[in-house]
Amino acid sequence: MSRRTIAIGLKIPDNEAYTALTALRRLGVEVARLERAVIWQFEDAGDERDFVARVERNETLFNQNKHELQVLEAGEPRSGETWIEELGAHDNVRGHLGGKGIAGITRARRFVAWRLFATHGEPAGAATVNDAVTKLLCNPAIERARIG
Amino acid sequence: MPALRSFRIGGLRDDELAKSAKEHGLALRVDELRRIADRLGRDPSIVEVHAFDAQWSEHCSYKSSRHLLRKLPTDGPTVMQGPAEDAGILHLGEWKGDRYGVVIAHESHNHPSQVVPFEGAATGVGGIVRDVLCMGAEIIAIADPLRFGRVEDPESHQRYVAQGAVDGVGAYGNAIGVPNIAGDVYFDERFDDNCLVNVVALGLVKESEIIHSAAPANSVGWDIVLVGKATDTSGFGGAAFSSVTLDEADEDANKGAVQVPDPFLKNVIVRASYRAFEYLREHGITAGFKDLGAGGIMGCSAELCSSGGFGAIVDLDDVNTALENMPPEVIAIGETQERLCWIVPPDVTPQILRIYNEEFSLPQIARGACAVVIGAVQKQMHYVLRAGDEIVMDVPIDFLTGSIRDPLAVNEPPAQAAVDPRERFVEEELDPSEVFAQVLGHRDVCSRAPLFKQYDAVVRGTTVIPRGGADAGVIAPVHGSPLAVALSVAGNPRYGKLDARRAAAMSVVESARKVAAVGARPLGLTDCLNFGNPQNPAHYTELVVAIDGLAEASVALGTPFVSGNVSLYNEAKNGNAIPASPIVACVGGLQNVASVVTMPLKRVGTILYYIGEAQNAIGGSVLAEVLGVNAAPLPQLDLLRARMEIETLLGAAGEGLILSAHAVSNGGVLTAVAEMTFATLRRTAIGVQLDDPCVWTQGQIGDLEALFGESGGFVVEVADQERFEKFCEDFPFVHEIGMTIDQPVIAVDEDAFDIRALHEAWAEPLTEVYV
Amino acid sequence: MSARLAVLVFPGTNSEEETLRLARDVGIDAHIVHWSRAQTLGAYDAYVLPGGFAHEDRIRAGAVAAHDAMMDAVIDGAQRGKLVLGICNGAQIALEAGLVPGTGPVRKPTAAFTRNGPVPKFVCKHVYVKLAIEPKRCAITAGLPQDALIPAWAAHGEGRLAASDEHLREITAGGHLAFVYAHADGTVDASATPNGSAMGCAGLVNAAGNVLAIMPHPERDAWNFNHLDRREDGDVLAPSGGAALFRSFAEALR
Repeated sequence: MSRRTIAIGLKIPDNEAYTALTALRRLGVEVARLERAVIWQFEDAGDERDFVARVERNETLFNQNKHELQVLEAGEPRSGETWIEELGAHDNVRGHLGGKGIAGITRARRFVAWRLFATHGEPAGAATVNDAVTKLLCNPAIERARIG
Repeated sequence: MPALRSFRIGGLRDDELAKSAKEHGLALRVDELRRIADRLGRDPSIVEVHAFDAQWSEHCSYKSSRHLLRKLPTDGPTVMQGPAEDAGILHLGEWKGDRYGVVIAHESHNHPSQVVPFEGAATGVGGIVRDVLCMGAEIIAIADPLRFGRVEDPESHQRYVAQGAVDGVGAYGNAIGVPNIAGDVYFDERFDDNCLVNVVALGLVKESEIIHSAAPANSVGWDIVLVGKATDTSGFGGAAFSSVTLDEADEDANKGAVQVPDPFLKNVIVRASYRAFEYLREHGITAGFKDLGAGGIMGCSAELCSSGGFGAIVDLDDVNTALENMPPEVIAIGETQERLCWIVPPDVTPQILRIYNEEFSLPQIARGACAVVIGAVQKQMHYVLRAGDEIVMDVPIDFLTGSIRDPLAVNEPPAQAAVDPRERFVEEELDPSEVFAQVLGHRDVCSRAPLFKQYDAVVRGTTVIPRGGADAGVIAPVHGSPLAVALSVAGNPRYGKLDARRAAAMSVVESARKVAAVGARPLGLTDCLNFGNPQNPAHYTELVVAIDGLAEASVALGTPFVSGNVSLYNEAKNGNAIPASPIVACVGGLQNVASVVTMPLKRVGTILYYIGEAQNAIGGSVLAEVLGVNAAPLPQLDLLRARMEIETLLGAAGEGLILSAHAVSNGGVLTAVAEMTFATLRRTAIGVQLDDPCVWTQGQIGDLEALFGESGGFVVEVADQERFEKFCEDFPFVHEIGMTIDQPVIAVDEDAFDIRALHEAWAEPLTEVYV
Repeated sequence: MSARLAVLVFPGTNSEEETLRLARDVGIDAHIVHWSRAQTLGAYDAYVLPGGFAHEDRIRAGAVAAHDAMMDAVIDGAQRGKLVLGICNGAQIALEAGLVPGTGPVRKPTAAFTRNGPVPKFVCKHVYVKLAIEPKRCAITAGLPQDALIPAWAAHGEGRLAASDEHLREITAGGHLAFVYAHADGTVDASATPNGSAMGCAGLVNAAGNVLAIMPHPERDAWNFNHLDRREDGDVLAPSGGAALFRSFAEALR
């Protein structure tokens, strides 16, 4: 059983990131650019070599015309990044992955990753990310934020 | 003349040309390509050939069906506007001096939904509401007739399609705030490779405020204004995509032809458009308005201008695009969602731009969204596209948008089986108790609530009867007025498999019956004709005879067709084609919402009647499937009697004699009675004592056939037996079949069925698919 | 001069028309105020946040709307005692804005109406809500009878009240639990709740009693024609059923 982490981002314009960026700026958070992705952290009993192919076959998660998939080395948010997880939502593989599930996957945790960039394209500092999290990106009553 | 890249036709042999067309992703045939080159007197440019590919696709041109559709009656006292534009309009009634029309449009989004069900179904809803909006109407309701494959296997693509399409319809309709009030769903292996996602939308418009999808008279020099989402590369080749069969191997490529829905942006565009309507009304301005569908900017602007008798010149550099350096053919023809097109006088343009861009701030709602002038109406009947410094398209506009026809082979139509209503097809004599629960739990009968509870049925606050409350949904859309609108859909694939013509006629009759069952008068119809590959004579023949069936039933009922859609090529490479699926929607009108009839039984001690006539023929029925009897013909359809049944019910309802009513369809009379009792379970259950069927069939019909046969008609609950029977005395097909009782059972002669147990058998099956 | 009510329209709102109609039908001087006219909101005496999907529920239901310029006026008004009613998405916005239960600072939500449970899907279902506070505890419900039972439609994917156990106790102890889901006969049990909401919560009120957030829509079951089988006296077009809450609101504005 291995833990594997992927990020699924949009190839098409991400309106949600656009809205979040506008709202954060309105709140005085200094962020020049914002990216959004869905992070999946899987417990996988299957072969690493066909892992991506297995995930890409799941139509609920992935549409090659809309999404781009990246396998992440680290199972943690990078610098400038926060991962938001809904409390109590990570125990339902079927609910997350749709009826078909993914062969070999026994557990799936879902996070929404927000990646904040400062003026010169560098990842935003931890204080800025924290500011964005507390002001807008996380409701602590129902979500938990991990900050890179 | 276009200087840019051309598509070579001259000098190529047929096989070379066919190969080249295929490489360019074109669905145009060799003879069509040569016709284009002949008319233009040169090879077309790349943009031009893609433009013809879209405009001459089945989806846009109806090239295999337009001449057949002329057989449908489209006139009558209820018709405010027939099928000339994107939607038809039916006269609902008058209120405070205004004549109100109900706009109706009906479309399919079958291919996209099979490939990418959520987006495919959602964009289906998005497209159909634009068709209604562009008539100047307020969008008041939607409906979704669905056909899915076998969904038993939770791992199957069919299950994924059935779930994803429902999620998509729900997500889009809920977000734009339009109640979903009608629809149906059938499951059959013949839909394994081609699901059907049809969508119907209704609008409300005062006759004096209808906006047409045509450049108005004297509009030369007026602006062509594009509104909505930034044009992107999604949906390029969409029209052609829905005009060929789906090939599984191409599935991933096909996903690119599916558009991306944005119901949030649409919500804002719809409200901004209402504001634009208001502005134009206040200033007495006539404008042209049309939604962008198949063929994108090119298709929409060309049709708008050619319908007005004009040409157009459009500058692709002025189009708001999502990406830099998009090829001109993609900007011109791609089918990005959430876009509309106005034709307005130049002095009005700044106000229209202000409404969309400032008051409703489209650019803040979605990146790149806006309203922008992209061209002008011109006198010369040419359609011209500019990109950069080049003319990339310049063709006679009538040649582009004019009607074309495919020469297709038709088989000898199958003879209509004459059925002796007394001839029996069931060998053994079974007890109803052996089949009742099976019929109620049948996939075509069981409760649809697990599916439609995901749909907002009550947004707008106008809902009188939501989904599941009766045979048709009912709304009261004119605030302060008692006028009400009913909407139903019908189209039974089990019948379509046996006899396309009779199935089509039955779709008309059943849809009309369903609106009559709520006390509404059928005003008019729309159809969506879903069939297999028309190049296959057997399937094309089904289409031909189905249109005959629609026409004869529509004439017999006096209910015209005011709009419709054709979806062909619903066939897989493996030859699995859908059964003939002529799906019909019916709009009903009520002058007073207080006279709506609902389905639940009302009280104990009332009398139940069957308005109709049972037959022994059970072909295509749920009973036939449960018994494994496959050879039996469809019941005879007596159109005159069907009309009299409807008139009898409406007359009696008008006299206040009907307490509750339910049209008899899947599962027959006993199923109808059971469904009338189920809705009473939440309070004190009302039961039913039915007479021995041989009493009301005079022993001419088998008990099973009488109870479960699908001979049509209605079951009604009546309190004043004497007045009702007096009212019906001239109509012989009204039979007393039982009475309501204060025990929670349905008793058939000697057998008593517990309603709660029946309800469980009926309520459960779909809960596994739609948790 | 009678009190003026603003029905707010955010981008994505979809229930403004019926909310306006009902408010007017029960005698309230109500007006739609669109986001491009946020600066006019201060002049109104009371606010309704109607249903829909404001800002498409991006990030979280109600999260972006809570920071919209329109909410500056609403939050300011609420702090000065103006009446605020949030319905469905409006209730989600009121929670994200911290107006209800209102035990923390504004725009620091302490709870949420979030994803339905156990089935995480949109549900459209007819329900009843029962007043769980003294009517006069909230100005908007003051005209309702004790234990008032109000018909409404649940039509949401995210209506489950969620908060820490400790905060849920605080909500109960502080008298913030304004409405609970009930059956047609007024009985209350878990099966009446369509979305897994904590404590069967259908609505919350703030400490001062001037802000009420309710998840299901009384305004969609608010005229006789909406419920012919439960028709009350009077014209088929007359307000009834769910209109009771708006009638009480109208009294408070008189």
